[in-house]
Formats: sequence, structure tokens, C-alpha cells
Amino acid sequence: MPELSRPLPAEDRLVLLPKNPGAFFVFWQFAGGRSDAFRAGAFAPEVELRLVYSEDRTQASSYRADWQAARAYVPVPAQGRVYEAALYAQRAGAWEKLLESNQAAAPSAAGAAEERAYASLEFHKRVSP
Amino acid sequence: MSSRGSLMFLLHAHLPYVNHPRESSFLEENWFFEAVVETYVPLISALERLAAEGIRPGVSVSISPTLGAMLENEALEAKLQDYVESRLDLIGRELERAKDDPALLKSVLLYKKLYEEAAALLHKYSGDLITPLKALQHAGQIEIITTAATHAVLPLLARPEAVRAQLAVAAEDYLDRFNRKPAGFWLPECAYEPRLNSYIKLSGFNYTFTESHAVELAGSAAPNGVYSPYRTSNGLGLFARDAASSREVWSSRFGYPGDPAYREFYRDLGYDGDYEYVRPYLGEDGARRPLGLKYHRITGPHADLAAKQYYDPEAALARVDAHASDFLARRVKQTDDFYAARGVRPLIVSCYDAELFGHWWFEGPAFLEAVIRKIRAERLPLQFVTPTEYLNSCQEPQELSAGISSWGENGYFDPWVNETNDFIYPAVYAATDKMIATANRFRNQDLNSLNTRALNQAARETLLAQSSDWAFLLYIGSHAAYAKGRLEDHAANALKLLGEVIEKRVDEQALLALEQQNSLFPRLDFKVFSSVSKF
Repeated sequence: MPELSRPLPAEDRLVLLPKNPGAFFVFWQFAGGRSDAFRAGAFAPEVELRLVYSEDRTQASSYRADWQAARAYVPVPAQGRVYEAALYAQRAGAWEKLLESNQAAAPSAAGAAEERAYASLEFHKRVSP
Repeated sequence: MSSRGSLMFLLHAHLPYVNHPRESSFLEENWFFEAVVETYVPLISALERLAAEGIRPGVSVSISPTLGAMLENEALEAKLQDYVESRLDLIGRELERAKDDPALLKSVLLYKKLYEEAAALLHKYSGDLITPLKALQHAGQIEIITTAATHAVLPLLARPEAVRAQLAVAAEDYLDRFNRKPAGFWLPECAYEPRLNSYIKLSGFNYTFTESHAVELAGSAAPNGVYSPYRTSNGLGLFARDAASSREVWSSRFGYPGDPAYREFYRDLGYDGDYEYVRPYLGEDGARRPLGLKYHRITGPHADLAAKQYYDPEAALARVDAHASDFLARRVKQTDDFYAARGVRPLIVSCYDAELFGHWWFEGPAFLEAVIRKIRAERLPLQFVTPTEYLNSCQEPQELSAGISSWGENGYFDPWVNETNDFIYPAVYAATDKMIATANRFRNQDLNSLNTRALNQAARETLLAQSSDWAFLLYIGSHAAYAKGRLEDHAANALKLLGEVIEKRVDEQALLALEQQNSLFPRLDFKVFSSVSKF
């Protein structure tokens, strides 16, 4: 999997981006102190990403990952709705909210997508010698 | 004959900002040179020819601010002139090589004409192709619109400040370039989500375009489907792209560009020619690459590259004529069918990347010119119309809540968010977040000139990091190392400059070098990223 070549500032950040009607892309970063806490075992290594509906803040789904994974694709619970994500970690057996994301809207699926002439791919192939 | 329907052609012209003034030649700058010779010059020539003959083209052209900046960049203009002269030199040698091969000679002569026309048009306008476009718009022949400052996929910018900056910088850039406010806004990659409505409208734009399923998703709320414009609740006009007319032109598999008589893109003298013969025209690294002289035709859908037959320009032009007639016959039927069913004269909105015409589909500019000529010559019941003309003459569009969509593969955001390119977003957001925070911190402070320049350059670098092109190039595996390097450079440049301003230690020489290389948006004010704005 490709990665950045240069380190970024250690900052807290959780970003939720739409990918398609079935999936969000989410990535997270931690400030130095939080990373140190994970490394020191103050937090359990598995984090939980919770999606909530923005309109009423009820939880829609949850997803677990290693804290160092730093990114994930998570299923969209219901198309056409707006979500926010929060990242939790366990400290001494209790879940603690570490990060909150932006709002992101999940698209609704359109029919017969495969029949469309999508513009951005076909003519951007490059020459293969 | 009176019109039974309207056609709206929108050509979206965009290239990522590629400018390496310290390099005498740089591979990725060839994207610009190729697009100028193969697309922009032929299109401008066709539009000027039509206008001179009293045939109003009535098409719309979106010119991205990054492309506009390159078209006005004097260093790139000088390199472009060298590029054209180099190709004409090669063509001179090719004429000698082809003198006993009549089939090859036809194509060489075609390229001689193409490059000579490019040289003549560039000379006529002193290398600045914005001038003829501006004149065509001023004369009412075409309508020019803009797009986001660096072609960011706006639904992937979570911070409102970043969306507003992309829009505000684009509007200002257009005003500076075309001496008027822009009426329309092309959403990069046709990527739409409803939260953009207010930002687009408040940036001064009257209308934008969406992919067809943005409207189709609205179901019965959009009774005319893609065949009429709509308006959002805040009064932004929405035009939806017609899938059928797009497919006929876009698809090399199902559409016109795949015709066996048309020029083959992937067979090029740069790969075919004797190495020592073509070596002077390759880059400094000597690696084989396309030289733009392509002598073969597609030949057949599954024909091996080695089995391609020679291109015949006359045979190709005959197919252009047939395809233009077919395209228009389909549009007449489309409008007749719709009118019969609903009693409403439809509007067909056809949007294409401009670079399809000429660069990828070599015969594309001739096709476009033939379509426009045939409507007039054959008195077809269709008329070309620009978005502003249509909105000024149609009934108040119906209000609609359109759906999230793009014109990318699968219709959403997959090409820009997937396992090949998702690693870039932490860098994009690190630069964007710090730019916003620093703009907020310094927006009301009296800064010296050096710090102001550093913040303004940081804003340029942040905008460039947000460009859709880096993710897309990574996705298709084309120039991926360059795309990754550019993305990381811009993010790192922004973060470094912002840090230097905060720590009061701006490196003026390094800043000057960045200002010279990434020199677009000369009036950019870093405060455009601040959270408190005119909105």
C-alpha cells in the first residue's frame, strides 16, 4: 500500500469522506501525546469508530481497527443520510472518545450505472510503450 | 425551420498546473504543449472560422484557472514555441523520409499543417491563447465559465473554508483574466453535493452542471429528467448532463472515437522510429515517449498495435461527416420523442473534457465544427444555446434537490478515493487545517511584506495540494511518482511557510523560488482561507 514519503505533524484529526453509496473512507491521526499513550499501553490497541446520524446523533454502526491502521473503509449504514464519526479507545476497560470528525453525506445509488459513459477514465489512459 | 429543441455543448478545458521554470525541458510540461497544439489551437481555429463565416458556434467553454495561468505564463509560452519548432524540424525530416511512401506522406503533410497552424495562431496572439477566447466571448460567440481554483473535488473538502477558498479564488481569477464576473461554474469532475449550493451561489455564480443521475435520483420531482434546467432552493441554476449524447462521443468502445478509420492514439513515432533518428526530439533522459506524430489508424477494435494500418486523413474526414450527421439525427429524434411525450421542447446538455477533442480523439475538432455547420446548412430543428442564454429565455426552472454524484467511474468518488491514492488525504488535510488556523490567527494583524508574501504563497501551495489531478494520476498509474511528489511538495511547502511565519523566520530566498515556480493567482490573499468571511 503506498504511503507518504515524509512525516506529517503529529496532530489529532479524524476525517470522514464519501466514496460511494456503499462506503466511507475515514482516516485518523493522533497528536504526539496520544500516540505515546497507545505505545505505552495506556489505551488498548484496538480503536472503535462509531458512525452516528448527524440529524439525531443516534449511533448507526461501529467498526474496530488497530490504532496504527490510521485509515479504513467503512460500510454506509443507510444511503442518502448524513453522518459523523467518532473514534474511541479503551482506557482501563472504559471507552473514551478521542476524536470527532466532520459531517459527511452518503450518496444514494443510481440505477444502471454501468451503462453510463463516465468521463474521467477512458481517455486518460496513457501510452504504453 | 423553428427549433424543436436546444443543444448545449460544454467543453471543460483543464490541465494541472505544471511549471518548472528552472528546467529547460520537463516531461510533464509536454501535457500542456500537446494539448495546445492538438486541442486548443484546433478548437480556437474552428470557432474563429465559424464566427468569421457568420455561423455563431454558441458553445460554452470552461477554462480552469490552472490552465488559464499556464496559457498566460511567458516562460511556458517560450518553451511552447521551442516545442512547436522542434516538431516542425522533425516533420521536415519526416517529409524527406516519406517522399516515396504516398500513404505515409499524407499523414506527415497533415501534421505539417497542424503544427504550422499552431505556430501561426501562437504568433498572431503573441503566444497568449486567452486573447482569442476572450474576443470570442466578447463578440457573443461563446460563453466562458470557470471551475474550482485548482480543480479540487469539492465534496472531498470537508472544511467549508477550503471550499470557499477554491470558489472565491476561481471567481477572482476569472475576473482578472476575462474582465467580467463569471456566470457559470463547472464542478471539477462534475462532483456535486447539495452542501455546495450555497457556497457556489454566494461566490457569485448563477449556475452549475451535474451528472445525469444527480437529477434522475430526484425521481418524480424532476419530471423532465435531464431535459430541462432546475434551480436549487437558493436559486442556483442546475444543468444535468445528458448520458446518451455523452456516450456517443466519450466512449472509444461504443462511440465515434473508436471508428477504425480514426487515428490511433497509442502508436507513435516516438516508439516506432529508429532510436538515433528520434533521439534529438526525446527528453534529456533519452527515454522513448510520444512525439505526437501518429501515422496509423485504429484499424479494428482488437487490432494489435503492430498490425495497425496507415492513417488516411481523407477517409477519416468522411467518417467525421457521417458521425456528425448521425449525432444530429439522434439529437433530432431525442428531441422529437421527448416533445411527443411531454409537449415540452427539451434541452440536451452535452459536457466533455475539451482535451478529448484533438488530443485523444484527433478528429474531434473537425467533428464539432461539422456538427455546428450542419445545423445551419441542413436547417435542422435544433439550436446551440449557452447556459446564460437559456436561463434568460426559459421559464423559471423548477426547484430541485439533486443527488450526490460525479462523472467519474461508477458515478461517485471512487477514482479519487481508493487504495491507490487514499494515503494523500492526511497531507492534504494537514496543509488545509494549518492554512485555515494560520489565516484565522493573522487575518487581523499588521504583517510585514515578507510575512504576507509567505502566507499568500502558503495559500497557493495549499490550493495546489488540493488538486484532483494527483489522486487521479495515482489511480490510473500514470506519472504516479510525479503526482505523489507534487502532492507532497505542495503540502510540505505550505506547512513549512506557515511554520516560518509563526516562528518569525521566513527564508526569503526559498520563498522567492516558490513564488517563481508556483506563480499562479497573483492577487491571492491568504485571508481567503479564514473562517470569518463575507459569507
